[in-house]
Amino acid sequence: MKKNLLFVCILVVALGLMLKQGFCSQEIPIGGIMDTTGATSDVGKDYALGMEEAFKWINEQGGVNGKKIKYVWFDYGYRIPEAITKYKLLKRMNVLAIMGWGTGDTEALSPTVNVDKIPYISASYSAHLTDPKKARYNLFFSSDYSTNARAALTAWFDKVWPTKPDYKKRKPRFACVYMFASPYCSAPIKAIKDHAALLGFDIGPDQDVSLFALDAKSQIMALKEFKPDVVWHGNTTMSVSATLRDALALGLGADWIINNWGFDENLPKLAAEAAEGAMGATPCAFFGQQVKNMDIVVEAAKKYNPGIPLEKRLIRTVQAWADALITWEALKRADKAGDLTGPGIMTKGFETLRNFEIGLGAAPVTFTETDHRPATGCLIQQWKGGKFQEVERVDLKARWPDKWEKEWLGW
Amino acid sequence: MELFLMSLVNGILVGGIYALVALGWVLIYKCSGVLNLAMGELTLVGAYVTLTFYEMGLPFFAAVLCTLAVGIILGILVERVFLDKLIGEPVLTVIMVTVGISFFFRGLVEFIWGTDTRVFEPPIFPIEPISIGFLKMSPVYLWSFILAIVLLLVFVGFFKYTRWGLAMQATADDETAALSLGISARFVYAAAWSIAFMSAGVGGALLGNINGINISVGYLGLLVLPAVVLGGLNSIPGAIVGGIVIGVLQNLSGTYLDKYFPGGVKDIVPFVFMAIFLLFKPYGLWGWEKIERV
Amino acid sequence: MSTVWLPCGTYHQSYEQDQGWWQTTFIRFKMILLLLCIFVFIPLFLPSYFVGVATMVGYTAMGALGVQLLIGYAGLVTLGHAAFIAVGAYTATLLVLQVPWPQWMLDLGLAYPISIVVAGIVGGIWCVLFGLPSAKVKGFYLILTTMAAQFVTVDFILTQYISQIGGRGQAFSLPPGTIKVGPIVIDSEREVYYLMAVLTTLMVMALANLLRSKVGRAWVAIRDNDIAAETMGINIVWYKLLAFFVAGLFGGVAGAFWISNTAALSPEHFPWFWSLWLVGVILIGGIGSIHGAIFGSMFMVIVMELLQWVVIPLSTYYPKLLVDFAYIKDSAFGLAIIAFLIYEPNGLAYRWWQIKNYFNLWPFSY
Repeated sequence: MKKNLLFVCILVVALGLMLKQGFCSQEIPIGGIMDTTGATSDVGKDYALGMEEAFKWINEQGGVNGKKIKYVWFDYGYRIPEAITKYKLLKRMNVLAIMGWGTGDTEALSPTVNVDKIPYISASYSAHLTDPKKARYNLFFSSDYSTNARAALTAWFDKVWPTKPDYKKRKPRFACVYMFASPYCSAPIKAIKDHAALLGFDIGPDQDVSLFALDAKSQIMALKEFKPDVVWHGNTTMSVSATLRDALALGLGADWIINNWGFDENLPKLAAEAAEGAMGATPCAFFGQQVKNMDIVVEAAKKYNPGIPLEKRLIRTVQAWADALITWEALKRADKAGDLTGPGIMTKGFETLRNFEIGLGAAPVTFTETDHRPATGCLIQQWKGGKFQEVERVDLKARWPDKWEKEWLGW
Repeated sequence: MELFLMSLVNGILVGGIYALVALGWVLIYKCSGVLNLAMGELTLVGAYVTLTFYEMGLPFFAAVLCTLAVGIILGILVERVFLDKLIGEPVLTVIMVTVGISFFFRGLVEFIWGTDTRVFEPPIFPIEPISIGFLKMSPVYLWSFILAIVLLLVFVGFFKYTRWGLAMQATADDETAALSLGISARFVYAAAWSIAFMSAGVGGALLGNINGINISVGYLGLLVLPAVVLGGLNSIPGAIVGGIVIGVLQNLSGTYLDKYFPGGVKDIVPFVFMAIFLLFKPYGLWGWEKIERV
Repeated sequence: MSTVWLPCGTYHQSYEQDQGWWQTTFIRFKMILLLLCIFVFIPLFLPSYFVGVATMVGYTAMGALGVQLLIGYAGLVTLGHAAFIAVGAYTATLLVLQVPWPQWMLDLGLAYPISIVVAGIVGGIWCVLFGLPSAKVKGFYLILTTMAAQFVTVDFILTQYISQIGGRGQAFSLPPGTIKVGPIVIDSEREVYYLMAVLTTLMVMALANLLRSKVGRAWVAIRDNDIAAETMGINIVWYKLLAFFVAGLFGGVAGAFWISNTAALSPEHFPWFWSLWLVGVILIGGIGSIHGAIFGSMFMVIVMELLQWVVIPLSTYYPKLLVDFAYIKDSAFGLAIIAFLIYEPNGLAYRWWQIKNYFNLWPFSY
């Protein structure tokens, strides 16, 4: 009997503890779905922190024409069911836009977001989200994964292949390493293989390396049979560094081109000498590099998260800021046009951006009603001699204008 | 042929580590009848504890010894706090309590140490492979195997030649008789869990050496189950053989079958094998057979 | 624990009354109140957040009923039930999304109800497949084979093959508006709740009736001592497989229901953790009774919600709590199970039975 009473008391107390989430009318609610505990948390934690700092700074600058932004975010652990639950929660909180994270859940939620008309600015740069006919309400600041992949391969083909002894004697050999089952990892594969065929590569079998992988030896041994010259890696830094270490240990002898989520300041720390010469796509500048607006980012990091040393901050913070800044601009424009609703933010905010300069080393951003690809190419950098060096800033639209316009949208 | 031999050798080396963890499992089952589904998390805890000691500056072997000490304490704690009260409860309850323990430890480990992959820095073993004949072996695997075998021999020696080891064997054989001889059953249970923690902990540290430590080290603990099923639930040599066989099976299937099944079969082949094996020889190679005739 | 206590003065005059489900006026009153609560008060008067929580309770209960059948009534311990729920969910999704239904069926909204039935049957058959080893192995080994079912089905077959159907990505998108039952489009909390309530009530009725019949008695006999059951002439292999089929059926229906509540379906909805959760639910609720499944579901869902409500305000002081909330949930689950199994090993249903008895026997509580 006493246990029962106790149970009822706890229930009552808990009910009493429930807080109502309310927003005053002068606040703009923005939601966030981040990964700080899951499979991609090695890059997700930094991104989540950067996003928080960005919105705090935006509020200090006056917010959206005087109205403050209330940014509420949740961790979903890179599990799609959690993302859906948190999305429903944010919808119930009547947020005007959502800062999202992963490809799997963003693509899965894309039809729902379209029906609910909530702008969804993700950290997923999957090209499948760039076609407004299918994904009207999905956006991001960076060149998409397929563009990055194509650009990385082009940069290798332009700058590194001519230095090889077999140049012009045979076709170069190319293979892909990524986690098959992950939508984020597999997003650009079709595009990069199409590009490899376009440039005249021999394409080898794909190898499956999990995002959690600690060991890729059997995959490297299988790759060795094909003897590739260049290999694309589609995972995040943790598994990329494991693969690079194994490749060095087993003597694979290939160059590595890595997607942007596997190429950051942590890579040389985790992979040590195995990272020498690795190239990767960088949609914006590294944390602390001398570019426009970087000083704001560094100052905010010092001010709002003083407990985390600056050397541990990554390019992910900068990426978060970029997404936050374009959202802020879109909100300001929509508010000036008097239409601060989902569709209004999209048509009168984001889709009016033409060559909008974010700074932070990112390309200027353009969104139109028919094309949500913000940039036409990407900067490819290389880790060499203890620092990141530029290899080439590839502009796909300039080199293949017809294909860019007509064939490459949306995949 | 070279590929086959390399996979085989790698499998045996990794299997040695699995055997060490399987030994702990069988010990708990033999002595107290508890089917422990928390083996993976014990491995995880051991790995992270070793890492912490190593990062504090101790040399690796000293860190391993400290992990053993922590393992003993944790084993006694877990046994006293959680399992003492469950003597006499049905089997399912006890299994679920070990499941609860596993979740609790997993959450604790993630909370304290986070989910990033951690590596032993500076690396303990050199990266370049050692060549024996035409076989290239990574020194990590080789040294882990040797350490695992040494520990196995130490444990087996403990059981055969020390008084308390014999007491544990007696309790495992027939608890009532052992109790009547004055052997403290509580001590035996605590000792069984401590040894399991120790073996799992060292196993985790060794596995973590190979490629880094993150949460997936815990899933390796589940692989212990096919190993003990193969060897027989209450046979210590069976556990050792089972562990090595599972290691070999995993590596060979990884090398040869990965091409046909996208996503890799390394993780589920032991379970499929176990399911099929159970249909033919449910008591394992050396387990005690319960003969039921109707 | 399942006999109805008849107060003095109540007697039955016909066989029908004696065999009835609701044998006294008091019970009739209670049950009608309960049905009113479920179908009228909760969906219409509670804010939609709590309706969502209630839906979660119902979904857990549906899964737990299948597990309760296997563990509590047939004595077959299973740690892989999430696999069969997953099979049901994917079958239903594929049927709803990929099959070209004739237009008249779509207009009448028959696609989804038919999918639920088919999903249940497929779930049942799949469960029987993994229940076949039960003919030869018992106890711990059966646990291992059901674990194998979980890993092989969800982590391998679903993740690698089925979810890649249709190309991109790992998840099937189910935007609001895809699912219709009859003329009603299911796209808000209340409609999902009604669907859940109807399905759960049907399942509970079906299970209760099964358990009262020859089949149920056979299962209980097998649970208590299967060798003795065989000597009495019960074909234990047949009844074990039947138990697996019915449990798989329930799991399949639960999975098919689940897709109406989620905007996208991915194999991550059915991890091994969920199988263990369901077993934990029935252990906490009490093995061997339908009440147990329901109480356990209510308790677990409410505890998790409470945890969230306690942690979120605290996280303004300790931000690490919000960032690492997933880990706290894991640990809390572990602790909850351990605490319950140590201090209340017979579960909540037992506690409920004791409370009822207290009132029934009052004032003579001894």
